[in-house]
Amino acid sequence: MSFVLVAIMLVPFVAAMASWWAGPRSGAAMTVASGTVTFGLALALVPAVARSQPPGATRASGGAGELGGYAVTALGNWLRADSLSLVFLIATAFLYALTAIFAVGYVSADHDATALYRRRLFAGINLFAWAMAMAPIVDNLGLLWVAIEVTTVVSALLVTIEGTDSAVEAAWKYVLIASLGLGLSLLATAVIYRAGSVVLGNSYELFYPKLLSGAARFPAGTVRLGYLLAVLGFGTKVGLFPVHTWLPDAHSEAPTPVSAMLSGSLLATCFYAILRYYQITERSAGPTFARDVLAGFGVATLLLGALYLASQRDLKRLLAYSSVEHMGVLAIGMSFASPLAIAGVLLHVLAHAAAKGTAFFGAGSVVRKLHTKDLERVRGGIGLLPWSGPMFVAAMFGLSAMPPFGTFRSEFYIVVGGFAPGSHGAERALAAVLVVLVTLAFLGLSWHVTQMMASPGPEDGSSPAKGETSKLMVVAMSVALLALVVLGVHPPHQLDTLIHGAATELGVTR
Amino acid sequence: MIGTLLANVPAAPSAFDGVTEALAVLVLLVVFAMLRQDLLRAQVRMYAFQSLAVSALAGVLAANEHASDLYVLAGLSMVLKVIVVPSVVLRLLGEVQVDLAGNRRFGVATAVLAGLAVSVFGFLVIGNVHIAAAGAAGLPVPAMGAAAATVLISFVLVMFRGDVVSQAVGFFSMENGVSVASLVLAARMPLILEVGFLFDLLVAVVAFGIIMRTHHRRSSSLSTETLDQLRG
Amino acid sequence: MQLPPAAVQALQVLAVLCLAPLVSGAIAHVEARLQGRRGPRILQPYYDLAKLFQKETLAPVGASWWFLAAPVVAFTAFLTVPLLVPVLTDFPLPLGYMGDILGGGLILALGGFSVALAAAETGDPYAQLGSSRAMTFGALIEPSVLFVVFTVALITTTDLPYAMAAVDRSSLAQAIRPAHLLAAVAFFLVVLSDTGRIPVETHASTLEFGMIDEARGFEHSGPALALLKWGSAIKQLVLYVILADVFSAPWGLAGSRDVGPVLLAVPILFAKAFGVGTIFAVIDNTLSKLRLYKITEFMASAFALSAVAVLVLYLGGG
Repeated sequence: MSFVLVAIMLVPFVAAMASWWAGPRSGAAMTVASGTVTFGLALALVPAVARSQPPGATRASGGAGELGGYAVTALGNWLRADSLSLVFLIATAFLYALTAIFAVGYVSADHDATALYRRRLFAGINLFAWAMAMAPIVDNLGLLWVAIEVTTVVSALLVTIEGTDSAVEAAWKYVLIASLGLGLSLLATAVIYRAGSVVLGNSYELFYPKLLSGAARFPAGTVRLGYLLAVLGFGTKVGLFPVHTWLPDAHSEAPTPVSAMLSGSLLATCFYAILRYYQITERSAGPTFARDVLAGFGVATLLLGALYLASQRDLKRLLAYSSVEHMGVLAIGMSFASPLAIAGVLLHVLAHAAAKGTAFFGAGSVVRKLHTKDLERVRGGIGLLPWSGPMFVAAMFGLSAMPPFGTFRSEFYIVVGGFAPGSHGAERALAAVLVVLVTLAFLGLSWHVTQMMASPGPEDGSSPAKGETSKLMVVAMSVALLALVVLGVHPPHQLDTLIHGAATELGVTR
Repeated sequence: MIGTLLANVPAAPSAFDGVTEALAVLVLLVVFAMLRQDLLRAQVRMYAFQSLAVSALAGVLAANEHASDLYVLAGLSMVLKVIVVPSVVLRLLGEVQVDLAGNRRFGVATAVLAGLAVSVFGFLVIGNVHIAAAGAAGLPVPAMGAAAATVLISFVLVMFRGDVVSQAVGFFSMENGVSVASLVLAARMPLILEVGFLFDLLVAVVAFGIIMRTHHRRSSSLSTETLDQLRG
Repeated sequence: MQLPPAAVQALQVLAVLCLAPLVSGAIAHVEARLQGRRGPRILQPYYDLAKLFQKETLAPVGASWWFLAAPVVAFTAFLTVPLLVPVLTDFPLPLGYMGDILGGGLILALGGFSVALAAAETGDPYAQLGSSRAMTFGALIEPSVLFVVFTVALITTTDLPYAMAAVDRSSLAQAIRPAHLLAAVAFFLVVLSDTGRIPVETHASTLEFGMIDEARGFEHSGPALALLKWGSAIKQLVLYVILADVFSAPWGLAGSRDVGPVLLAVPILFAKAFGVGTIFAVIDNTLSKLRLYKITEFMASAFALSAVAVLVLYLGGG
């Protein structure tokens, strides 16, 4: 199984280089191939990692030692995929594959796209996906930071390829704020290193098994400082309040395939980084501090996202604020003590990737059809787009956590986890606040969706002809929507096992 | 009579401690000077000087610990941060015919006072956290206070300036602060990681450079005053 | 042969009293030489004082008794400070415990305040201009002075300037520690501002745009003016002495009350003050004066240096 990990490391990178040198057409094909292959490889790892035997029984290659879970390792322990990383890897790879398909359709429907634009887009998507796939599978806290820094640089450059003034503004804000945040998280890495050196000696590698097994003896004050810096630093890239200000701009000015990956995968991958620090902190300083920090940031983020949703004018900005809202939900979910809530958080990562992907693909369809992102001018969507229109509406309901979608199941788990027996008053209050704010967000989203899709288009005949602009976009949307529904109605058994394994790893001290 | 008064004087720091703390304080003072500086070229040169101080710190630490990987780090950071990065930015400035001085939103005295306020905050936080003195392989802990203050003042620099070069220099000086902090906290971190961090910095510089150039090409200025269209 | 303490104490004050105009004259001479001129005689300030003592004092209509008393008050205040700081000896003499470094600073400020108050009540526009500027900038430089005092207190756990000098002499590590260096530079900037040198004020002339201290003496004449000028020369010498003997070069002071070392300390005092003054003269000829509104930047920089000195000591090192 180690070769699978090495393949995941190599395939998107090779595809990026090749698609840059080969030209737009082959670049498109290579991107799609690389996406599907990577997703397949990620799924291939699931059986090796998601087992229902209790830890202590025989282990797979590498094993996790005292961590109580299974993992696949490669390259002498430099790469490591345990259940936690596999959840995020699957989310990333899934969206990578679908975005590749969508991007081919999106670009072919755009008659202004130059060859240089296409080359940049496809090579950029591959490189971006490579960095995002590397982050969950490297076994080193420092290399995790390096991977996320690479995602920042690549995505900032991708935001600029549209070439408009507002794209440059968005890219500048993004790269400046995200780099400042990542500087803070580099400081966090150094602080954790110092905490570890009390136990592990002055010079050691930041491998997770070593860190996590020794974390109980790390000095608590130092670890708390490191955790706070990490939440603030990586939280800039997750989109937590108050360092989210770059997010609506960057996600709306990027080309739509890139926006889908930014919202659906990148935010989650950076949340994964916070989770690794969470694991160290809860073993060292106790879970209460770690949870309280996340609760505070989470509720502020959710509040901000829900409030801003109603007043949006730009379609992709609307979806960006919805991402902010969902990241708030993730943070609040992690702050609950029940294992069910954590399972909900991990399922939400997958479901949100699918839902956000569908929503952005639908937004791309609308933009291609009507040539505008302005919410005031988008009307009569269902009439014009017979396939993507209804699927877009479904995706928006998915983002509002309606049944039968996966997001309903995950947020339900989170709320039930908040009200679980043994939870104290603050958690219940937080769960209630979550429900209220998600409802508020639902109101905002459905208002806009109804306006866009269900109200009749302009009568003066200025609307374009009815029909889809590209079949591939529809295909991508339908696969994503199908995955969302499957996650909601009946998640596959192996996925369930995987998620419960990851939840156990995260909730060791419960 | 003087003798009894002097009986309680706390001991001075050792020579190594004194030199390293002086260098760390020098890094901090350069950030204050950057707050005052309006001319963009001068800011970049100050950054080069600051990076020289950081490389010297790494070199002093290497000499004290007899660690060859720290020498390599000092040399690499000197080449990258003192020579390459400033020349990249200066070349960009050379292409610009206007905008030799940056935009500032508040006066110098206000900026210095804000910088002092955040420095006090930084020192207080570091003092309260009691960073574990683990075998003391690294700079002394008071240098950590200077590093934390440098990081915070760089944030002030980014906030109080309205042009892309000053903001980028603010980010670079924050990286210098983080480098000093990592010399205190994680001096013996494996070389591969340190090299990774340095090369990431280089890549970030490339990204900054590309975006700066694009912005300049579109708006013929380096000011961020026009970058306020996206709101809400 | 040992001098009685009272004699050494009086000698301290007398030395400062008599050497102050000489130091002024020497610095003016050096500055002129640096500019390529021949410059005035070194003893010129004595001749000026003698001339002024022979003239009559006039007071403006409406000025109260304070106008005539202020130069005397200032003169006395400035002469009190040499009792408190290491001038000739490196151990405190009996009256040396009367006040610490903070007290010395307060007395100096009292002298400046009395002159400014007298200038303010004359009704002359230039004098009032000078007095208001002097008070404003004096208030702005005070935080730096306080933080320098705090630094000294944190390093030596006392407030006595003699203790600081002794600590500096004790080891090289104490002398080159960052807090001490920063405090020394900050105090250098304070002295620069208090004695009215470039870049805060042009010492040599009175320009309306920039004059601060020079304008306060516009309405005084005769012996009052002589006391005023002598007083500011004494203040300058005292500040130089504090800078040299407490912060940077605390050597050459007499270790005991023997006649020889004490008398030797007098020319060494002059030499040190002359050295500091030469540095100021070089700065005068090198930099340009700051615009009045930019002087706040200068004050902020001095404050930043002294605040960082305190911060560095806070974490227990520095």
